[in-house]
Amino acid sequence: MRRFNWRLIAHVTGVLLLYVAAGMLLPIAVSIYSQDGMQFALALSGLLILMSGLFLRNMVGKKAEYVLREDESYWLTVAVWVVLPLFGTLPYLFTGTTASFTDAVFESFSGFTTTGSSVVAMPENLPPSVLTYRALTQWLGGLGLLLFVVALLRRLGLSAGTLYEAEFSGTQQRKLHPRLAKSVTRMWSIYGLFTVAMSVVLTMQGVNVVDAFCTACSTVSTGGFLTNSMGIMALGNGAVTTVTVFMFFSGVNVAVLYRIFTFKWRHLWSDGELRTYVVLFIAAVTVCTVAFFAEGNGLYDSARYSVFHIASTMSTCGFYMPTPRYWSFLVSVLTFILIVVGAMSGSTGGGIKLRRVIIMVKYVANYFNCMIHPNAIYRVKLNGQLVEKDYISKVFAFVFLYIVFIVAGGFVLTICGCSIPDAICMAAANISNLGPSPLINSLGGSLNYALLPALAKWILAVLMLAGRVELFALLAIVSPAYWRIRLKR
Amino acid sequence: MRFLGIVLMVEGLMILSCLIPALHFSDGTWEQIALSGLFTFFVGLLLKVRFRRARTMHNRRMAYLLVVLMWVVLGLFGTLPFLTTGTLIHFPDALFESMSGITSTGATVFSAVEWLPSSILLWRSMTQWFGGFGIVLLVLALVPSMGINKYSLYTAEASGADNTGKQSSTMGSTVRHTLGVYILLTFLFIFLLYKSGMHIWDAVNITFTNISSGGFSIYNNSLQGLTHLQQYIVALAMLLSGVNFALLFNFFTFRWDKLSHKLEQFLFYLCTVVAASLFVICALVFAMGYSWGDAIRNGLVQTISVITTSGSLVADTSQWWVPVSFLFVVLSLCGAMAGSTTGGLKAMRVLILVRHVRKILRDRLHPQSVNPVRLNGKPVSSHIVTNVMVIFMVFVMVIFIGIMLLMLSGINATESIGAVIACITGYGPGLGISGGFGCYAHFTTPAKLICSLLMLMGRLECLTVLILFIPAFWKK
Repeated sequence: MRRFNWRLIAHVTGVLLLYVAAGMLLPIAVSIYSQDGMQFALALSGLLILMSGLFLRNMVGKKAEYVLREDESYWLTVAVWVVLPLFGTLPYLFTGTTASFTDAVFESFSGFTTTGSSVVAMPENLPPSVLTYRALTQWLGGLGLLLFVVALLRRLGLSAGTLYEAEFSGTQQRKLHPRLAKSVTRMWSIYGLFTVAMSVVLTMQGVNVVDAFCTACSTVSTGGFLTNSMGIMALGNGAVTTVTVFMFFSGVNVAVLYRIFTFKWRHLWSDGELRTYVVLFIAAVTVCTVAFFAEGNGLYDSARYSVFHIASTMSTCGFYMPTPRYWSFLVSVLTFILIVVGAMSGSTGGGIKLRRVIIMVKYVANYFNCMIHPNAIYRVKLNGQLVEKDYISKVFAFVFLYIVFIVAGGFVLTICGCSIPDAICMAAANISNLGPSPLINSLGGSLNYALLPALAKWILAVLMLAGRVELFALLAIVSPAYWRIRLKR
Repeated sequence: MRFLGIVLMVEGLMILSCLIPALHFSDGTWEQIALSGLFTFFVGLLLKVRFRRARTMHNRRMAYLLVVLMWVVLGLFGTLPFLTTGTLIHFPDALFESMSGITSTGATVFSAVEWLPSSILLWRSMTQWFGGFGIVLLVLALVPSMGINKYSLYTAEASGADNTGKQSSTMGSTVRHTLGVYILLTFLFIFLLYKSGMHIWDAVNITFTNISSGGFSIYNNSLQGLTHLQQYIVALAMLLSGVNFALLFNFFTFRWDKLSHKLEQFLFYLCTVVAASLFVICALVFAMGYSWGDAIRNGLVQTISVITTSGSLVADTSQWWVPVSFLFVVLSLCGAMAGSTTGGLKAMRVLILVRHVRKILRDRLHPQSVNPVRLNGKPVSSHIVTNVMVIFMVFVMVIFIGIMLLMLSGINATESIGAVIACITGYGPGLGISGGFGCYAHFTTPAKLICSLLMLMGRLECLTVLILFIPAFWKK
């Protein structure tokens, strides 16, 4: 048995750090342009990231073998999602944006995992460069930095299949293109195109450039960092519409998006997951509209709020327009359920993912039918294809684990002094990479997490990470079963 | 329908037996009790006679329907003593109380129980005692073959929870053995409590509600007023009520070689009790300033009460530290061993769920290896694993929907979560006002009805009730 290939993990992490360092150029440029005095702090942190990246890539990971075992790909996934956010705290610390290291970690993890939970109460008081940096972390996190890597690995000649599997664990992918590297390039280009398009539209609607860019990054990556404490409303009605549309699309599988925008519409509607996404969206909007209307809002306003709110929840962006204080119970519970369900698989959104939920619900329905007709044989089909039994049991295990994580996270949060519903909602909102919790009693009525004790912030950061790497990768490397075998070698 | 009649007759007799305390303590309710008892008995008799020539049935669907119907009817007729004596005026209240009794939940709408007539108190305790065992199974055991496919009734009632290790090949004797253990334990604990200086009346009531893991009490402060020794005795009763009765039977009849069939579940159950109690004890000492002695007693007894979903209280738990309440919610969801009187998911299912996740992890790390889910050293068939998975998912969905409905009927978030989980697991006390020594009196009418339904669902493990709502069920 060959030795554990930690050199390669270091190498890839190093390469990704270089990308982050390159990304740092943008905030630095903004800083110089707007003269907010942050250029040195940002440049220093950029330099540190660059140096560490180079060190990891060229010194530690120098003679890396380009082969990846199953468990190593888990390590790689987790390492990347831990190391990058940790280095990502540097700009926050140097610019003095956050009060403590814990806050910086929270903000950085929230950014890279595209969660969008924030400890910053008044984002409008942040210098534009820091705002840009915050948005950029989400954007980089967005499509899964690892997909970057896959594109990059083409040059390295690494077997990309394993990584791809680790990143989108358990979701059988509709392949964009037989050759993975090429399909990743396509994904990436859609992603980039969306960001640029949205920034341009927002700018044309009269939003200033920094806000437009930051909002676009937050939306397309389904992150949800805001640029001001008033929410999206402060950008104007036109901007709200734009954001709504883009949120809706960012919750859609990238492969499906590609088909939509290349006008290959023929088999589009036969995609079961897309169909469910649309139907669920319409149903949720209807319920939500009724709920808002019953509270005495005008019909037009309720409809508009609902569409925005549901798009934001289903894509796990997490922009809240009327703050949760004004929601009825119905809206809160509906929101909670949608948060846990999450977006389509293969999108940048989080949650259990619609695909798994569909399979689960279908299987349960079949089970009931089986109870009535014990001799009949029922199978689960998705998109006209049979779903294998092994896969179904994986889905069940995943959902079970997801619930366990939420409950366990909620438990620790209650120790930190949150009430039980608050704790559960916060845990769910963060593991689903949504951001602000739909219940905010113990946060003093504000959407940001600044008032939580340090332990709670760390726990939420871990939950974000777990949600982003889809549990298994994280769980596999801490499982006793794995270590027992590892240590035996 | 004939079966239904017999069940009703039994219930009528049960109500009539409440006459004993009514007459003994002369609390002035004997007329009403006799009336409702006789009424129930005669409706039952009528049904039995009317449907004397009913065809035998082997239909699975009928079995599901029958089981649910029986529990509903039992609940409905169980309201009679409350309504006729005027202790509860509103029907939803009475239904809630009655359902809570026969499903051995222990949630109550009475803010103070001490002023209730003794006959009603006994009625509450007795419904739990019968309900805890599963009155349907009881009738099954006593009445010789009625042409009904008993096994399908059994699976309908227990959702195929523990069909892995019946100790006898025939259904009837399984039930009789189990019943024997149940009655033996009841007498044992009545005796123990009596010996510890308790009045025989108290001893009977407390044993009835705790051996069935029900949790109704005849005192406002539940177990708090008991002596320490008595509290420990009750805790032991609850602990045993959480053990699989087949296991107990084998233990008491010295068939120790058969114990290994369920050993792992048992150990898991004990480990959960120990681990959870340790946490609760530490929490009580460090976060709430109890002395060690008090903390150990309160923590241990209360944790056992939660895991076995009894819901008897040694202190006002609604005042306890929030994480402890949260832990209690989770523990009651896990529940004790399958094949006992307790509710929740049951230790066996939790074990299977955890092992299944471990299997999936192993499969991923070593794609070539074969990793079956094992229990007690034997591989569990994939059929059972999926059954467990489905029950878990259905549980979760029902809880979600329940919480949503309760919130819609005007209950706040904390209480909704508490009430739904307390009702579906059969624990009893919820969170907030409905938790601790509080009661469910302030719930709105729809909320009470929803809770009653949830108790029924929890008792029948969801699937049996839910299947009636599937359109395909009603198609020919």
